Amino acid sequence: MVVAGLSGCGKSTLCFCLCGAIRHNRDGVLAGEVLLNGKNVRELRAAGLALEVGMVFQDPDTQLFSPTVEDEIAFAPENLCLPPGRIRERVEHVLDLLGIAALREANPYRLSGGEKHLVALAAVLALDPPVLLLDEVMSSLDSAGRKKVAAVLERLRGAGKTIIAVEHDLEAVDFADRLMVMEKGALLRYGRTETLLADRDFMGEKLWHSWN
Amino acid sequence: MAFLELTRVSFSYPKRGRRVLTEIDLALDRDEITAIVGPNGGGKTTLTKLMIGVLQPSGGQIRLDGRPLAGYSLGEIGRRVGYVFQNPDVQLFCGTVAEEIGFGLTNRGYKPEMVEERIQFYLDYFELGVYRNVFPLHLSRGEKQRLAIAAVLANEPLFLILDEPTAGLDAYRKKLLADYLQKIARLGRGMILVSHDEPFVGRMAERVVALKDGRIQSDSGRKGNAAYEA
Repeated sequence: MVVAGLSGCGKSTLCFCLCGAIRHNRDGVLAGEVLLNGKNVRELRAAGLALEVGMVFQDPDTQLFSPTVEDEIAFAPENLCLPPGRIRERVEHVLDLLGIAALREANPYRLSGGEKHLVALAAVLALDPPVLLLDEVMSSLDSAGRKKVAAVLERLRGAGKTIIAVEHDLEAVDFADRLMVMEKGALLRYGRTETLLADRDFMGEKLWHSWN
Repeated sequence: MAFLELTRVSFSYPKRGRRVLTEIDLALDRDEITAIVGPNGGGKTTLTKLMIGVLQPSGGQIRLDGRPLAGYSLGEIGRRVGYVFQNPDVQLFCGTVAEEIGFGLTNRGYKPEMVEERIQFYLDYFELGVYRNVFPLHLSRGEKQRLAIAAVLANEPLFLILDEPTAGLDAYRKKLLADYLQKIARLGRGMILVSHDEPFVGRMAERVVALKDGRIQSDSGRKGNAAYEA
């Protein structure tokens, strides 16, 4: 599913609510309930949440902290206490999946903007959570990177993962099943992507879609 | 003579063997909008950081307004070239949105009434008026992006470098930005857009320079030249 809406309408905040960050490390009052796979995010501890949902933040600098790309990706599987062979497997798998094997020895902090986004995504994919939250991962990627990520997301969807992506560039995520349009902190419309995109007047008025 | 001129500029980061940029020759004027495009990690951001002197080339020479860049202080470069970083968090530092926009002007000794007038103009244009007294780092990504752009534009630099200016912007804000940039370009403000946003580049750029693996792979050249295709 894709979440769209003008900047400042609450898309990222919605993600923070869904991934439990509001309760755990961000100020804010969360009213209502968020259920992940039947479990209430209020009641899950941070480690439990990590098994249910992985989030790629809008600014990858906020989530990269390891000395090398490989360490960054291995961090989550290590903390799941997987055997070393399985950790290796997962690291190699996601490096290959996103085409960033050449960066394995690099310091994540010194990569370019788009590369950082790919590494942050790789680290979350290595955790292999059932729900993925992606806050504008496409915006800093080149067209090859976008295609690669789109293919990975389509494959994950096929494997039964739930993917929620915040994006302004709806062409980059036109394969999404559902689109949710927000305005001023509220849900404006939610429906099948092709139905909403076909409503050109609505998309034009609310998102200036045609200009893009 | 070009406003910004790079001659055989090469660059590698210290202690790392790999060359990021190899023998870049580029001359940019103040009357064109140039897009720098290319794959992630191709050296686009590094190239623009060299142009404002925050990185020093390991080889070659950069001239700004006819003088070697190495002879300028960072402050002198900053008054001529405005730079919007890829990540707005690294350039926002004031206590409020209004201060952020007025910072450069206040420090250059502009009268408070004049600073206030400009602040009001940019708050209105980029629709940040309701956030006038808000702490910049509490804004959303798209709002921070607009603020970083507004704060740089408020200084009215001669030349602008914008690194991924449309990241975080919705289509409506992209249109506002495009209109504004085209307007100031017509007033003789040259600019570089580093961007992956192909529709935006297609709409805005008069010249497209493609960078790959640290080398210029193609340069559409100046509009009107025989080499210009697009």
